[in-house]
Amino acid sequence: MGDLLEVSGLTKRFGGLVAVKNMHFSIAPGEILGLIGPNGSGKSTVMKLIMGIERPNAGSVRIDGVEVAGWPSHKIARQGVGIVFQHSRPLHRQTVLENIKLALLPDSLLQLFAASHIDDRAREIAARVHLDHVINRLPGTLPFADLRRLELARAIARNPKVVLVDEPFAGLTSGEVADFSNLIASFRAEGHAVLLVDHNVKGVAALVDRVLAMYLGEYVAEGSAESVMQNETVRQVYLGGKIETAARRDVAAADRKTLLSVTDASVFYGKAQALENVSLTVGAGEFVSVVGLNGAGKTTLFNAISGLVPTTGTVSFDGATLAGRTPAQIARAGIVQCPETRELFGDMSVRENLDLGGQHLSPPDASRQLEWLLDLFPILKSRATQAARTLSGGEQQMLAIARSLMMKPRLLILDEPTLGLAPVILEQLSKALEVLRQTTDITVLLGEQNVTFALPHADRVYVLEHGHFIWEGTPERFAVEAGAQFL
Amino acid sequence: MESLQILIDGFAISSLYALGAMGFTLIFGVSGVLNLSHGAIMVTAAVIAWAMASSLGVGPYLGAAAGVLAAVITSFATYLLVVRPIQTSRRIAREEKEIFVLTGTLLWGIMLQEAIAYLFTSNPKTVLPLIPGVISILGVRTPMQEVLTAVLSWMVIGLLWLLVNRTRAGKVLLAASINPRGLTILGFELSTIYLYVWGLYGLLAGIAGVLLGSFLGVSSDNVGQLTASAFSIVVLGGLGSVSGSLLGAYVVGYLETITAYLISPSIRTVPVLLLLVLVVYLRPQGLLGRR
Amino acid sequence: MKTGKTFGVAAIVVVLLACFPFGVSGYILGLLTLAFYFAVFAMSWDLLFGFAGEVNFGPSFLIGVGAYTAGLLNHYAGFPIWACVIIGALASVIAGLLLAIPALRLRGPYFGLVTLVAVLLLQNVIVLFAGITGGEIGLDLPDVLSIDDSNNYWIALAFMSISGALLFGLSRSAVGLILQASGQDAMQASALGFNVTKHKLAAFCVSALFSGLAGAMLIFYEGTASVGTVVDIAVGVQVIIAAVLGGRRTILGAALGAVFLIVAGELLRPLGELSTFVVSAVALVVILFFPGGFLGTLLHTGDR
Repeated sequence: MGDLLEVSGLTKRFGGLVAVKNMHFSIAPGEILGLIGPNGSGKSTVMKLIMGIERPNAGSVRIDGVEVAGWPSHKIARQGVGIVFQHSRPLHRQTVLENIKLALLPDSLLQLFAASHIDDRAREIAARVHLDHVINRLPGTLPFADLRRLELARAIARNPKVVLVDEPFAGLTSGEVADFSNLIASFRAEGHAVLLVDHNVKGVAALVDRVLAMYLGEYVAEGSAESVMQNETVRQVYLGGKIETAARRDVAAADRKTLLSVTDASVFYGKAQALENVSLTVGAGEFVSVVGLNGAGKTTLFNAISGLVPTTGTVSFDGATLAGRTPAQIARAGIVQCPETRELFGDMSVRENLDLGGQHLSPPDASRQLEWLLDLFPILKSRATQAARTLSGGEQQMLAIARSLMMKPRLLILDEPTLGLAPVILEQLSKALEVLRQTTDITVLLGEQNVTFALPHADRVYVLEHGHFIWEGTPERFAVEAGAQFL
Repeated sequence: MESLQILIDGFAISSLYALGAMGFTLIFGVSGVLNLSHGAIMVTAAVIAWAMASSLGVGPYLGAAAGVLAAVITSFATYLLVVRPIQTSRRIAREEKEIFVLTGTLLWGIMLQEAIAYLFTSNPKTVLPLIPGVISILGVRTPMQEVLTAVLSWMVIGLLWLLVNRTRAGKVLLAASINPRGLTILGFELSTIYLYVWGLYGLLAGIAGVLLGSFLGVSSDNVGQLTASAFSIVVLGGLGSVSGSLLGAYVVGYLETITAYLISPSIRTVPVLLLLVLVVYLRPQGLLGRR
Repeated sequence: MKTGKTFGVAAIVVVLLACFPFGVSGYILGLLTLAFYFAVFAMSWDLLFGFAGEVNFGPSFLIGVGAYTAGLLNHYAGFPIWACVIIGALASVIAGLLLAIPALRLRGPYFGLVTLVAVLLLQNVIVLFAGITGGEIGLDLPDVLSIDDSNNYWIALAFMSISGALLFGLSRSAVGLILQASGQDAMQASALGFNVTKHKLAAFCVSALFSGLAGAMLIFYEGTASVGTVVDIAVGVQVIIAAVLGGRRTILGAALGAVFLIVAGELLRPLGELSTFVVSAVALVVILFFPGGFLGTLLHTGDR
């Protein structure tokens, strides 16, 4: 029997951006392939292309020999593909049973009553995914894991040849992960093909037969989980190469006054727990790196500190709690975040973006700060009148950081500044951060997946995984203790 | 002579429409709201101005000022009583918020319209002109008020342009329409910004309303048509584009005037509606729209 | 509430209503007759909005097309009532398709806009060709449904009950489930194998059919077809308010809302112009504090 899913030459462009380039792989019956990549690698786009949610610009997608590239998604679904989206979207006014029945209905305008066998089949499926005890409940009353089970049930309802699962274990506890793994494995045992998409090889390593790593839309490496994790190129793009540390300013940790203190913070997105009882401290003038893969919870942590998401526990800045303050107030109080998404004003010029950052300063102060920043990032000076969205990725990142610095923050939070940037830009950024450390007494909290970038400047390192810290220490000790198992 | 008349009248009415439409677009761009009570706010301004000036006898200038103030108050009321409660409500699902805001402003507009009709009857009112008299432009007898309408509208439009492009506050407004989250992380309170925008909107709608009242006269019956005009202009020009609204206002204003003069005043909105249908099907982002 | 139980309760209500002519005055019967036709307008709207997720800001476009087609056929060609009504309903379906096919490609506020513009255009066209259509004064119809109040009442009640049963049944059927999914999350529905566009178009046609039918029947009840009763934006607004007041996605709630609106409007008549003000104010309060409407808040207190 031939491969159930064959992808070759798959390419997708969004305007000028190439999201997926010449992607190729195949999955045989009874095989699970893990498609791994960081944010922006194109893995979600590949999944959407297979499902027909996006139309490919070039390439072929074959389901059991039938070419489906370019078909609308409902036709591809009927051809034998099921998908479990990252976010659960059940019909809220229908019971679990009715939600599953929906997946079994034919695409007919005239069907008033569901055939009787549909009810039986729906119950069968519910039992298979362990939802039989909640079959008449409404989704709103179910815990998070059961909602994910419902999504899986709907995807496999019509016994598709290929199942696509996006971030299968996000938000699940380790016990639930094991359960879910078994369900997916049972599906493989029946001879179907499964594609798992995730950030994290470690998470899916036990379940998959093979791993394919992607970066910036392209195929990087394929093979067993271990061989891919050891692959030079993969380690380069994920970790940034060998782990090195650089000389830092010597101030004993104990001498530092605590500037930021987070105690027992937990954040929930609906039912999913994104952060679990996290505590950290940052001393005045310190450079702290929080290292972790995409999806570990770095952004959630930073948003909790900046007041952008509600959190339990306490966040104190300079001795006083931040509870009850609006995010804008927190920013004005001295905690400025440069988010992963940068949040630039695309249609406004570089200069205008920077000016907005300096709006709360007095005009002489603002112009002094501006001058200093344009020296620090000379490329911005030459592009001062250009619209921000016409800048390259690296230039946009520099603009975002410079704009945050215009506010003269006491604590600068940088969320994944190196995402998607070329190595030469990383060097420039690294140098700029070095200058910042040497010439000012700014405190920095950096969140990064790229360990090579995060370590050299750091005084201390935290490792975040699945919403909680699993390690804390100095960069030197990191290289010895935690570095090896990082990927 | 008729073509000259059309040229002049069309210019005056377009300038007026432009003022109202720019306010409408501002609210959409920054606050994300298509305010279906727009016409009601304009008519409120006109009617209050008339009531103050004529019935209470405070004179045209104070009357006009009162009218504009009434529009600002009504605008704040629209935001604080209708729009913001819906936007922050936990009982309404996020995907439905837009529809609820639309329906809410529609209902609010009807309430205002009926209140005006009840308090002041639905007879058309003409606001006392600020400058009485008639002037002759190239042989066409034009009321001074009409000239004033065009001049004043353009002055305000000019001031608005200066505000948005040359002042710090204007840059903040522009940024708010591009990326509100970006402003929050830079320490700007969005809630304050929204208040300012609705206040500015009330000012613009109020001035447009008072000028319309003195130029053509208004009644509570005009509410729906004024909102529809603003809507059409903004979609034509491009939702969210202030310069698009300016362009759209002139297209609509002239199209209406030409139709009124050459065919019949009662169907002057028909060509505009047809144009709107074409635009929505062929180029939904409007003439100068972005997305 | 289970479908079977709902039908049972509704049947009892209908039987009770059918007894009204044996004691209630002709004036009230007339009011309720109007309300029943409005109920069908509102229920058709709810099917489209509550289930297919499409906001139609100009339901009176579909109602008006059906009504005027029927009216013009009766006035000029002398067709019997039943033929006019059927043809009127079909015209409405065609109009609905013409509106829907391109409009479904549009996102967000643009679709609502197109529906609004359609109404304005229809209104202007009717007034423009007043010589043929009777313009604002209206079109006199040679035939009427009945002269007797009680007969008209029963006809309207029967029509509403059958339409309601069909529409409600549709909403609870397998197709209704697919429609709900299409309206709530089109991408997910496609991924489950449903041709969302096909289903939404079908929903449009059903909504148009019932709107047109009801519009045609209404003018034969009143004896004239006029812009003010079947085309005006105000009519459309009332339909939307009725559905939202009664509770979106309940179908039957829309009927309740329509009856409430018409009756309340009448009761408030002594207030003069303020009656519309009060009704709009109440509707606004309901939107703000009870977005689920009467029936929605009553029945769905558990889930979101």
